[in-house]
Amino acid sequence: MDMTGEYRIAATRDVVWQALNDAEVLKACIPGCEALEWTSETTLSARVVQKIGPVKVKFNGEVELVNINAPQSYTIQGEGKGGVAGFAKGGADVVLTKDGDETILSFAAKAQVGGKIAQLGSRLIDSTAKKLANKFFSNFHEYLSDDAPAGD
Amino acid sequence: MSEQGIGARVKRKEDKRFTTGKGKYTDDVRHENQAYAAFVRSPYAHANVNGIDASEAEAMDGVIAVLNGAQLTGDEIGNIICGWAVNSKDGSPMNMGAWSALATSKVRYLGDAVAVVIAETQALARQAAEAVLVDYEVLPAVVSAVKALKSDAPQLHDNAPGNLIFDWEIGEEAATDAALAGAAHITEMKIVNNRLAPNPMEPRSAVATYDEAEEHYTLYTTSQNPHVARLILSAFYNVAPEHKLRVIAPDVGGGFGAKIYVYPEEIVCLWASMKTNRSVKWTSDRSEAFVTDAHGRDHVSTARMGFDENNKIVGFKVDTVANLGAYMSLFSSAVPTYLYATLLSGQYNIANIHCNVRTVYTNTVPVDAYRGAGRPEACYLVERMMETAARELGVDPSELRRGNFIGEFPHQTPVIMAYDAGDFAGNLDQSKEAADVAGFAARKAASVANGKLRGLGYSCYIEACGIAPSAAVGSLGAGVGLWESAEVRVNPVGTIEVLTGSHSHGQGHETTFAQVVADRFDLPIENIQIVHGDTDKVQFGMGTYGSRSAAVGLSAIVKAMDKVEAKVKKIAAHILEASEEDIVIEGGQVKVAGTDKAMGWHEVGLTAYMAHNLPEGMEPGLKEGAFYDPVNFTFPAGTYICEVEVDPETGVTTIERFTAVDDFGTIINPMIVEGQVHGGLAQGIGQAMLEGVVYDDDGQLLTGSYMDYTMPRADDLPFYKVLHNSTVCPNNPLGIKGCGEAGAIGAPPAVINAITDAIGNNDLAMPATPQNVWAAIQASGKSIAVQ
Amino acid sequence: MTSIKMTVNGKSVEKEVADQTLLSEFLRENLRLTGTHVGCDTSQCGACTVHVNGKSVKSCTTLAVSLDGAEVTTIEGVANGELHPMQVAFNDNHGLQCGFCTPGMIMSGIDMVNRYKASGQELTSDAIRHELEGNICRCTGYHNIVKSIQDAAAKM
Repeated sequence: MDMTGEYRIAATRDVVWQALNDAEVLKACIPGCEALEWTSETTLSARVVQKIGPVKVKFNGEVELVNINAPQSYTIQGEGKGGVAGFAKGGADVVLTKDGDETILSFAAKAQVGGKIAQLGSRLIDSTAKKLANKFFSNFHEYLSDDAPAGD
Repeated sequence: MSEQGIGARVKRKEDKRFTTGKGKYTDDVRHENQAYAAFVRSPYAHANVNGIDASEAEAMDGVIAVLNGAQLTGDEIGNIICGWAVNSKDGSPMNMGAWSALATSKVRYLGDAVAVVIAETQALARQAAEAVLVDYEVLPAVVSAVKALKSDAPQLHDNAPGNLIFDWEIGEEAATDAALAGAAHITEMKIVNNRLAPNPMEPRSAVATYDEAEEHYTLYTTSQNPHVARLILSAFYNVAPEHKLRVIAPDVGGGFGAKIYVYPEEIVCLWASMKTNRSVKWTSDRSEAFVTDAHGRDHVSTARMGFDENNKIVGFKVDTVANLGAYMSLFSSAVPTYLYATLLSGQYNIANIHCNVRTVYTNTVPVDAYRGAGRPEACYLVERMMETAARELGVDPSELRRGNFIGEFPHQTPVIMAYDAGDFAGNLDQSKEAADVAGFAARKAASVANGKLRGLGYSCYIEACGIAPSAAVGSLGAGVGLWESAEVRVNPVGTIEVLTGSHSHGQGHETTFAQVVADRFDLPIENIQIVHGDTDKVQFGMGTYGSRSAAVGLSAIVKAMDKVEAKVKKIAAHILEASEEDIVIEGGQVKVAGTDKAMGWHEVGLTAYMAHNLPEGMEPGLKEGAFYDPVNFTFPAGTYICEVEVDPETGVTTIERFTAVDDFGTIINPMIVEGQVHGGLAQGIGQAMLEGVVYDDDGQLLTGSYMDYTMPRADDLPFYKVLHNSTVCPNNPLGIKGCGEAGAIGAPPAVINAITDAIGNNDLAMPATPQNVWAAIQASGKSIAVQ
Repeated sequence: MTSIKMTVNGKSVEKEVADQTLLSEFLRENLRLTGTHVGCDTSQCGACTVHVNGKSVKSCTTLAVSLDGAEVTTIEGVANGELHPMQVAFNDNHGLQCGFCTPGMIMSGIDMVNRYKASGQELTSDAIRHELEGNICRCTGYHNIVKSIQDAAAKM
């Protein structure tokens, strides 16, 4: 499934770019993220708890930043393995456009799930994925606008 | 007809335990110190397994063992096999890929098991299974059989190039081509038979116990054929020798084919019980059932039927691609060949038939027999072709059929089958009257006045039951004989136990079989007990599938009763000092005809067991066994008429009338037979309108629960009108044909023919959901006509 | 673990159960009342239907600990000396085949008839079919289940 969105953020592009590369910020903004740590310059390990339909899953996964074009754009992609519950993978192309002192963040995200999550929650996945993606970017928007960590 | 004998509507003896919650199903069995199994299953449709890390699971409190495929093969547990060898038309054997009960290096469908956790509780076993880390290297997957045959498709098994299992044919191709070339009219269709999940309401379950001192195993399992399970587990899977393995199939909550096979879970539970020296129990949940129970159908066919200028069929040519899933299940090869293409003559006189079948591996759950097994696919093809041809030729669809009916028996078709008896025109006449076809035009006009569409569709089905004789199926590649056995034990007090190799999982054998015995010996039905489902009690049996229990299983009982009767008469003649020929059995007595000399039935039993005064040379006791091997298939047939109303605005379709006239031969208990038809019709209507297994392109199952796989509910279905037009089967002692699958075979084309009649578009796929029907209406332009 | 006390089929029971224990599991495993069946894991099939305080509920989606003090009736508790009219009707009308969905059908059937009688509504065959939305049977095609419930309704 594919999702797109756009946010205007009241911060300069450099500030936004830094935030997009800050594990603490990402952790605060990714819904259900319990841990996020750098494992190399472009990879992070993550632990995320999600509920999709009737299935609650703890994902252990890898997040990777590719196509880095600082401070304009990157692709953030990840794959989480939920054991017997299945897996989820997804990614988003994020583009930052300068607009004076403000920045326009646009994203195009893709998500795919498998295993029991897909089996039981397939009808809910589109809406869940959309909700999660929007939640992340709105958290991120709030985080930078208020300069305060956003909750889940 | 007596109140309890053949033909009587006897209420079921088994109902009391089921209506009071006292049925005993496999999951109700719990041994002391029971351990539980949970399987670690692949969340991918196709992947290499590069490693399994069970350390975290093994360290959990209460986990007894985590076992994997390497250990299983290390213990020489055999691969799961297909029991029917079908060769390609070039003579080469089928390409059977290796199927280990626990995958070792590669998983080939979503749900393929790679490891099993044995733990103290079910919850703990499941929790620990989640902690087993499997390193998968994901491979591209293919779910469509047609796509799997393409040159760039992912390959499942090394020994099956192009994913082709076999390329098989039946009939004369050149003669059929020539007949079609000379035809005055040709009807051509592409027909898809949708994939179904059988869904017996009781999920599969196994409780395996190993007795170390005796080196003996006991398996409680949800099986339609416990003896076949024991044979396979012993001879092919090497779990235990037959005499050291007892298989019990207690009350089983429906089967519909899905419980014929021995699955990885039963093998693993038995093996794990030995490895852990614990009784090991596994019960599937519904999600697991959707990804492990064999699916049914899944054919894609193109068909051409030619007619002469008198609308007589001159030739029928079919090309079918059958999806067998990731591995070859037990009877998977026979379903799309000998159970399918041999029925392509339908009820019609067709001189030339040719069918080519390619069977294909895909990254999906293995496909095998589901209620009807091959015959629904054949019937759907033939009957949709007939209806479409009638529309193209501008003739009444019932009359086109009538003009082509086989009227004389026996009739040899060009595709193996020799039909032995039937009354096809009689079925059609009776059903047309019962369905009030004459009043259809008025009902249609009323629907149109209400802004609705109305349609009527026929299905004149024929099927083949009681697959046999053993020598014939053996020559076609079957790995088993298809006879049945029975033992009739008259106890010293005169009560009777009948041990049968048939298995009841809803069919009511405890009642119908007892009726036949009560009828024969004129005894109260309460005095007769039917025993089945336990390899320690019943010597052997092939079980219940293919509508065979009455036609084959009861025939074995009749043979055993013949022997009992002969001995009873000998004993009575001896005691009553009369001639055997003059002895009659009636009213609980054994009498000398025309005299007042008689002894009680129970006295004969007692005499046989006391053995104080038996004819010279006679062995004591009164117990006889028999094996019955049929001389031919039986051929149930009938006409179904479905009438639907369609809302053109929404595509919502309701079945207004469903009329079934069946020829099942002799009927033992009409109440039970009608129940079988009702259930079959519901599954057939389910296939036509509601059900369908859907995978996405990556092999993820999108219809994996009752939230997404539409099981027929009460308000999806009508009351059915079920009638009989019996001709006696000449080839078995009671004249029985079989009734278990007819509804599921005959219903789908009747429904789709009715809907396509209503909407004026023949191009409609199953399931005919409102969305599909609406789209077909849009394509036909019919909605405008109504408005 | 939580200690719960309830009345099951007229008998008082008191057990320590894990908080996540479902009523279906509690009945089957703790009390060994195996007449209550589990046919799915998404609360659709209704094989697990029991009565809690006189109303039908799906025991597979009810936590045992939430029913402290409740009165529970299962299929084993329906007959009162003699079979309940619903049980008789299922036998009379061949409303069951494999028997797996039957306990749930009977429990739903009794509840349905009671509700319609209490509200004075007529329980038509269409109403029965609609009410059976949450009970799946794979054997009977529902024809004889609907007849069974109609028959029992006339006798209850």
